[in-house]
Amino acid sequence: MAVTEDRGLADTNIDGVRDSSDVAAEVSSGKLMTEEMILNVGPQHPATHGVFRLLATIDGEVLVDADPIIGYMHRGYEKLVEARDYRQITNLVSRMDWLSGINNEIPLHIALETLMEIEVPPRAQYLRVAMLEMNRIINHLMFFASFGAELGAITPAFYAFREREDIQFALEMATGGRMHFGFFRPGGLKEDVPRGFFAQALKGVRQVIDRLPDYENLLIGNEIFKQRTVNVGVLPTDVAYNYGVSGPIARGSDITFDVRKDEPYLVYDQFDFDVCSAPHGDCFDRFWVLLHEVVESAKIVEQAIEGMPSGPIMGKVPRVVQAPEGEVYVRTENSLGELGMYLVSDGDRRPYRLKIRTPSYNNVSALPYVLKNTFVADMIAILGSFFFVLGDIDR
Amino acid sequence: MAVARERLSPDEILERVERVLDDKITASRLNFGQADVTCEPDRLVDVVTALRDHEDTRTIFFTFLSAIDRSTFGNEESEGRGELEVLVHLYSPELVFHVNVHVPLPMDSPTCASISGVFRGAEWHERETHEMFGIAFEGHPGLTNLYLPEDFEGRPLLKSFRLPGRFVKDWPGAKDPEEAAGGGRG
Repeated sequence: MAVTEDRGLADTNIDGVRDSSDVAAEVSSGKLMTEEMILNVGPQHPATHGVFRLLATIDGEVLVDADPIIGYMHRGYEKLVEARDYRQITNLVSRMDWLSGINNEIPLHIALETLMEIEVPPRAQYLRVAMLEMNRIINHLMFFASFGAELGAITPAFYAFREREDIQFALEMATGGRMHFGFFRPGGLKEDVPRGFFAQALKGVRQVIDRLPDYENLLIGNEIFKQRTVNVGVLPTDVAYNYGVSGPIARGSDITFDVRKDEPYLVYDQFDFDVCSAPHGDCFDRFWVLLHEVVESAKIVEQAIEGMPSGPIMGKVPRVVQAPEGEVYVRTENSLGELGMYLVSDGDRRPYRLKIRTPSYNNVSALPYVLKNTFVADMIAILGSFFFVLGDIDR
Repeated sequence: MAVARERLSPDEILERVERVLDDKITASRLNFGQADVTCEPDRLVDVVTALRDHEDTRTIFFTFLSAIDRSTFGNEESEGRGELEVLVHLYSPELVFHVNVHVPLPMDSPTCASISGVFRGAEWHERETHEMFGIAFEGHPGLTNLYLPEDFEGRPLLKSFRLPGRFVKDWPGAKDPEEAAGGGRG
């Protein structure tokens, strides 16, 4: 699936208006005499979704250099997990990317199940997929809301939060939580879902499928939105690979890279869905991918619920969860990209080492490249289109 | 870029990786379908460059770089016990396979070549590994702290660095009293 939307802008080229690279060229050639200034953005800035600081060197209107400073929320999870057993870690890792809590739990459990050779029953696998995708919809709608709000359109936020609520309620019915679900267990799930869960979940996702075209028109068809996002903040394909950028941001840069398709985990290979990608690598394409992934996720939820097998929700798991000696790298498609965990176990009930590779970390490390030589006014659009969660960077 | 994905069998993956890396590595094996190779610290740049540029591997996607302190692994006889180790994970999106590059390092003044010239994404990962394990990456443009304050003392992810909470409070998850009083592993 690729961009079919009309990206064309109305003719607004006024004589004498130059783009940022022209200005940068004149400045560097010494034609324009300017003075560099350091602008501090954050750590408390609404567009940074957490405590994130950007040290921007600006020359007039042009960002000469941008240096992201992170670590304001560093909680040292990689050390903490070494002193906790696997049951406790489930709840710890769900707090990394707080917008997709249940998505954070899955790589840990797949890693454990691989090392311990536990077979997960089909019903648990289907339920896991349904919940992961519902969580992805909630996450994407949140970024749809915030990106609009950052560009000055407050209306999308109200619609997105209304749509989120039905799906959020379904997850709350099953898990009791709204953000940190803690519902997966090694070998399956904590418990089966309650009566009414499937109806509520289907109501939520069908609503999203029905209403999404309207939201598309609201932003993607909007002339102001296009002016602020088309050809702004371009991330080329090779640079994306070089930084390890993944998820909707990578797919907005012409990369058809989705762990769910390439190396299907759980039962993703049994569902029919498309990988959305767009060729230009700008803010517009990243947002386009994000929005269309919502529909694909909704399709998966529908298929998973329709084909839901009956049976147990827990495999045969020893009383003490203790991974045998060995190491494994498991990666999954988190809402924002590749979430991987490298688990090293020496046979204890605690991991010997758990390296957590979070998507936002690699994605944001590419920000200085993208921000270089852009206008200060475009900075917020670019930051917003990188869809990152600070907890995921500062885990 | 729509890439045509071939599927390789695990043995083919290992065979290709061994052929491309030839004498640059000291050991290689398969681990859950991913190629695991070991190399010396001064050959790391050659190894990742060869893996990235050779058309038979094309591991152009940089996943992560980190380290493992193996000094307290299992018991004295455990195979996995050792000193420090730098771990680089690369992925080939076209051929759908993973390579883990392990670089064993001594505990005293560990030094490794920086791969930030090959993968720009490694810059942050090396800064993090430097502050957490004390590993120096030669050729890195600026090894300043990424997460920790500049005046932080100690290398938190080394096994010799113990969580302060574990000194004063017993580990609640322990099965027997000795283990609890020992504060667990942390």
